[in-house]
Amino acid sequence: MRNPLYRMQEAFARRPLAAALGAAAALLLGLWLTPASWQTATLRLAVPIALAAIGGIFAEKSGVINIGIEGLLIVSAFSSIVVVNWLGDAGATLGLTNLWWGMLAGVLVSVLFALVFAIVCLEFEADQIIAGLAVWLISLGLAPFASQILFESPNTANVARFDNVTVPVLSEIPLVGYLLFDTEPQVYIMLVGAVAGWYLLSRTNFGRWVVASGENPKALDTAGIDVHRVRYAAVLLSGVFAGLGGAGFALGTLGTFSGAGDTAINGRGFIAIATYLLANYHPIGALIGSFLFAGLNSMQDMLQTAGYSVPTELIRTIPHMTVIVVLVLVGRTRLPDAAGDHYESGED
Amino acid sequence: MSNRFESLLERLAGLSVLDRIVISLAALLAAVLVGGVLVFVSGAFASCRSGLQLGGTTFCYNPMQVYYELFLGALGHPLEGGWSLTNYSLGRTLQQTTLLIFAGLSVAVAFRAGLLNIGTQGQLVVGGLATAVTVVYAASIVPGGFVGTVVLIPLGVLAGAVGGGLYGAIPGALKAYADANEVITTIMLNIIAAGITSTLLSWQFQDPDSSNPETRPVPEYAEIPNIPVIGFEEVNFSLLALAFAVVLMIGMAWLLARTSFGYELRTSGEQPGAAAYGGVDEKRMTVASMTLSGALGGIGGAFWVLMVHGQWLENVPSLGFDGIAVSVLAGNSPIGVGAAAFLFGVFQSGSQSISTATSVPKELVGVLTGLIILFVAMPEFFRLIGRRYVAPGTTEPVRTDGGDPAVDDGGDGDA
Repeated sequence: MRNPLYRMQEAFARRPLAAALGAAAALLLGLWLTPASWQTATLRLAVPIALAAIGGIFAEKSGVINIGIEGLLIVSAFSSIVVVNWLGDAGATLGLTNLWWGMLAGVLVSVLFALVFAIVCLEFEADQIIAGLAVWLISLGLAPFASQILFESPNTANVARFDNVTVPVLSEIPLVGYLLFDTEPQVYIMLVGAVAGWYLLSRTNFGRWVVASGENPKALDTAGIDVHRVRYAAVLLSGVFAGLGGAGFALGTLGTFSGAGDTAINGRGFIAIATYLLANYHPIGALIGSFLFAGLNSMQDMLQTAGYSVPTELIRTIPHMTVIVVLVLVGRTRLPDAAGDHYESGED
Repeated sequence: MSNRFESLLERLAGLSVLDRIVISLAALLAAVLVGGVLVFVSGAFASCRSGLQLGGTTFCYNPMQVYYELFLGALGHPLEGGWSLTNYSLGRTLQQTTLLIFAGLSVAVAFRAGLLNIGTQGQLVVGGLATAVTVVYAASIVPGGFVGTVVLIPLGVLAGAVGGGLYGAIPGALKAYADANEVITTIMLNIIAAGITSTLLSWQFQDPDSSNPETRPVPEYAEIPNIPVIGFEEVNFSLLALAFAVVLMIGMAWLLARTSFGYELRTSGEQPGAAAYGGVDEKRMTVASMTLSGALGGIGGAFWVLMVHGQWLENVPSLGFDGIAVSVLAGNSPIGVGAAAFLFGVFQSGSQSISTATSVPKELVGVLTGLIILFVAMPEFFRLIGRRYVAPGTTEPVRTDGGDPAVDDGGDGDA
């Protein structure tokens, strides 16, 4: 009950109109008070966190805790850069811009890893947390391994990045126009992804199956729906979202991938998990939650470039410290009943 | 999430020691096979002058050679001439083994209490800095020579244990009193530990005579001494340190198996309900086992400082993550940790041999580590293979007998 996003959700349920107007007013005030460069940076840094979180919601809601999301972000970001570097920065191949081929490759690789994770968990009844850690550690080794072979360094070459896509007329709206309608493609993907994720989870049959598969797989099984198939779909979907997040982050913001240490992803997949717990598995809530971490991240970048004599290394950990504070606040998030458990049809 | 661990540990407890050893060996073999395929395939993308020509593609890497270097290079190539037991490579392997025993024990103790401590890395980083700083400052008061050795080394190890233990107590308390998932908090605390120690270093403890980010070196008499005559002189490894690690390992096995604290720790991991009913304060047990786990990680950091470098460096190797692999492969048994730590010591040392003898990136070892964890996590995979290929006759009688727990217990722990 102490969870602020959960409270917001409740307010919306009770008085939708008043709550929406209040939120919009607060948002506009915030936009008016804060610098534009911070806002755009926040929106871009939110991409990997928000999309990975939305993907994680589907997996966990279906009963498979996908702690390997960090690994999915790493492999998708890395492979998207590799493909763009291979095809060439500018130009197009087979009618599609090379950057979009990179995006596609990132999503495919991420889905492939998610598939392996799903098979390991669903067919071979592996412990989900350990298998997820394994996915993360494999990715953490594989990206610098491949990078050494292809670029003879743990860091990849630099590639071109996405340009802004400007929507005419809408981008002229004061306060929000430049932010939402004059931005890079991965930000649009994030915004559309959050709405699509919310619609899919709460308004479609598939969404209901996912929730049932996590809460009461036996009931779903009795209703004639294959629990394994729903869980496969949910885990693969988490691969799609994480892939969009990782590749979008790499091609929109980074333009290169550093594989040393914690890699350029630097724990964003784990931050995403904290984000969806904070949002109590609500995709729109996860989008809002990701702004919190991304906002701290971009604020720290701004402080650094502004030349404040703050200890860089310590400031850099502020988002991670916030994750811990958030987890303490939402410690009582109720996991889906069957999360983490293997389900076998026909068991007593 | 405690339910899940309960069922997992139940399942692990249901396996016999032999089962676990077979699964660990099978996982190792599977990881080596997949890794070999990876090495071979990635050879097609590397550039080299000579390699295997297949269908117009040049495959630069020979997996057999890579594994030869990995496993035998780590022992100093015993099959080639002029081999001596105390060669440099074996010394390096045993050095890594020593450190990995501490890291592996750290993860294993927490796991036995039903907690997944991914934070050994951070605890090791914090403990190591505490050791270096304590010893450097104490050296100015304590006399040098033999007295210095006898006082400073235990003091340094103690400082590491306290530093790591306190840092491990944080996620323990967060788990016990705020129900914050320890997997995520410890991963975050790893990143935070790197930030805090590096800030402390530049603020206070940086060696003014060095341009690298590192503390002042501890005096030479405060480094773990080597045993004279036996050898290993050219590498920073001491048999005394290995002996201490082995003693600690046996001590932990005894603690878990024979003391009431160990019994309570294991029960809270395997059956928290029963433990609470038996009067175990679950919250305190969580904090205590995470503190113990952190202290073991901190001791690992202390030995990294006092045996390997003689100072704390900002760039700490990922011993803590390898500790997870060690513990998982060892089935979280303290004695098993010894064997698994030697294997990963071979990996660490062999990765150096790989990069000197071949052009395969040594990051391969990281991939292998992850693969081993993945395969150990899926015992059902090997049971299916075993049932199909190794003992095809066993399935039928089991059904008619009405079920054999040794074969069939894979799924029912979860119900």
